[in-house]
Amino acid sequence: MRTRALIRRGTPASPHDLWPRLRARLAEEDDVVRVAVPPLGWREAAAVAAVLGIAALVPDPLAFLAASGVL
Amino acid sequence: MATVHRRELLAYLVGAGVAGTLLVAPYTLRVVADEIFLPGRGISLVPVVLLPIVWGLWNLLRVRRRLRVGAGTWGAMLGLLAAAGVNAYLRAAGAWFQAAALLVVFLPLLYWLLWRIVVGPLNRALGVDGDGG
Repeated sequence: MRTRALIRRGTPASPHDLWPRLRARLAEEDDVVRVAVPPLGWREAAAVAAVLGIAALVPDPLAFLAASGVL
Repeated sequence: MATVHRRELLAYLVGAGVAGTLLVAPYTLRVVADEIFLPGRGISLVPVVLLPIVWGLWNLLRVRRRLRVGAGTWGAMLGLLAAAGVNAYLRAAGAWFQAAALLVVFLPLLYWLLWRIVVGPLNRALGVDGDGG
């Protein structure tokens, strides 16, 4: 038994088993990206207000939003 | 084997991915609106299903042409084109209504916001472009 255990311990991983290598390569290439949203100021606030205002004030908001692709 | 520039492919995927994700809104809200607010009344259908392709190609075009225009402005231009297209489509389908003319203001503003806050930052994060957006 001791001899068999020594032999098993000394056997290298099968070269045909690619999963460990693939996982290692994916982990190696997986980097972090930083998504920096621009600071929201008065221009963005005005645009949001205008969008909401138009949607609220049109005579038929649902038909309008459906035509715009929002609904 | 076909080859394509990595930046251009990423640009297309960013535009298509963002628009495809946003399409959840019309696909779910329209069902709710049809069932609850407008039972029995049909809403004229605009082919929003094409939005991911259009957004992807529009983003790709900006990268391929190396245009020095910000992502927000580029998106607003697409919104203006989309508004004109929707008006033409509604008129051709005989479903045009007066408020649809306001789309030429509404869509550029909405697209400006989305491209400035979502598409532009994703482009920069993935190295698609390096402008100020």
